[in-house]
Amino acid sequence: MKPMLSADLNAPETTVEKAKIEVKNLNFYYGQSKALKDINLSLPERSVTAFIGPSGCGKSTLLRVLNRIYELYPKQSAEGQVLLDGKNILDRSQDLNLLRTKIGMVFQKPTPFPMSIYENIAFGVRLYEKISKAEMDSRVEQALKRAALWNEVKDKLNASGLSLSGGQQQRLCIARTVAVKPEVILLDEPASALDPLSTAKIEELIDELQADYTIVIVTHNMQQAARVSRQTAFMYLGELVEFDRTEKIFTSPREKRTQDYITGRFG
Amino acid sequence: MSTAQSLHQSRKRKNAVMMTLCVTAAGIGLAWLALILGALLYKGLSGVSPAVFTEMTPPPGDAGGLLNAIYGSIIMTIIGIVVGTPIGVLAGTYMAEYGRFSRLTTIVRFINDILLSAPSIIIGLFVYELLVRPMGHFSAIAGAVALSILVIPVVVRTTEDMLNLVPNALREAGTAIGAPRWVVIRSVAYRAALSGIVTGILLAIARISGETAPLLFTALNNQFWSSNLNAPMASLPVTIFQFALSPYEEWQQLAWTGALIITLTVLGLSIIARSLTGRREDR
Repeated sequence: MKPMLSADLNAPETTVEKAKIEVKNLNFYYGQSKALKDINLSLPERSVTAFIGPSGCGKSTLLRVLNRIYELYPKQSAEGQVLLDGKNILDRSQDLNLLRTKIGMVFQKPTPFPMSIYENIAFGVRLYEKISKAEMDSRVEQALKRAALWNEVKDKLNASGLSLSGGQQQRLCIARTVAVKPEVILLDEPASALDPLSTAKIEELIDELQADYTIVIVTHNMQQAARVSRQTAFMYLGELVEFDRTEKIFTSPREKRTQDYITGRFG
Repeated sequence: MSTAQSLHQSRKRKNAVMMTLCVTAAGIGLAWLALILGALLYKGLSGVSPAVFTEMTPPPGDAGGLLNAIYGSIIMTIIGIVVGTPIGVLAGTYMAEYGRFSRLTTIVRFINDILLSAPSIIIGLFVYELLVRPMGHFSAIAGAVALSILVIPVVVRTTEDMLNLVPNALREAGTAIGAPRWVVIRSVAYRAALSGIVTGILLAIARISGETAPLLFTALNNQFWSSNLNAPMASLPVTIFQFALSPYEEWQQLAWTGALIITLTVLGLSIIARSLTGRREDR
């Protein structure tokens, strides 16, 4: 993992970025009502993209299309294309469980499973891999180290995941997601239920993770988007208003609506 | 100032009146319970002896125990639970997980609620027609079937309720990690709802262990030791019913003792169920 990081740091600024996910003409419906209108955007590999916008603008909906988790509920449907490495994941033939091992997700509220810290991480790994106890131990350790949680929990791996603090629980969820070796990590307001210190830790973590993963983060907090992301998409009323490099969005946006939102005139 | 004071006084008076009424009402309710428990302990305890648990129900005028009735109750309760629980848990799982948004669930829930409050004597008659008449005789099996029919709605209801309490976020988290639906249900939802589901099963045991009417029509009773499931079998509630109505003193004493045994068993199960749910809420 280390060499990857340094390679990324040394890469020239002008490298043409490979798109990991391409969204094409995406429309989304809750029953009859249209929640996403003709979305087109392309998420570059190994970089953080933020979705911002006022409540109800569709940013979480868009995120939930990317791993098709919306299909847990009836009457929600997507049309258009979402290409992961060029393959349309909205296709009927797409195996949903395999898709979700490639595209992990962390939610707003920490959701540790009702089992031990160790089991929380081993659970996902065991679903698709048969590995020995020793390998699993090292896998759990790696994942916890990756999520900057190892030092806090290494002496109580058999304690319940629910016994951890909110910030620790959220890092456990990140560790759990990382452990199944996804390619993309979706973060749905991962720090909005956490205190400032835990938030800072999560942001630091996101910064480290982007060396290896394509990360998409939905956030209400514009400073957070500015701090952690390389690209930012501003959404409003189900439309993608503007998508550009983060500095550009926050310093010289093209659209008046973006300007109004980031300067706090609405939302 | 004086109006404020008189307002305060009148509110205090109203409060005192209301509180007296509420406490009296609660006291009346509890008093009956205390009287019943007291009478059971007073009359039942004096009859508790090793013989109760080692000897068969006696003929009139003889000394004896309740062994065959206790055995029959335990056997039929176990069979009733073993048959009824899986059906109830699976049906509850369908309603809370797979069929959460389906119309069938609404219909099943409605029917289940009716079944939940159906008089148990009707269940007894139903099984009488279903099994006893075709078989030509009363049997322990018919009794166990009647009890299992009583178990199902209780377990369905608690399983569904407890699974519905599991936050959707947890299911989403399980799904998001790539777990198939049934793994999410088995490893995440069941685990989160386990103590609640177990509580439901304990409550079902408590409910059926005191049922008399469905057994009267199915297992009937048996004066002697019988472990044959295809023959009539004694049970505590039916034995109590028969002995309490009899003119023989020994039988009446055994009826009191039997009633005490059932009550303490149900009390114990309820306390365990309570402590399980209590612990769940603490978390």
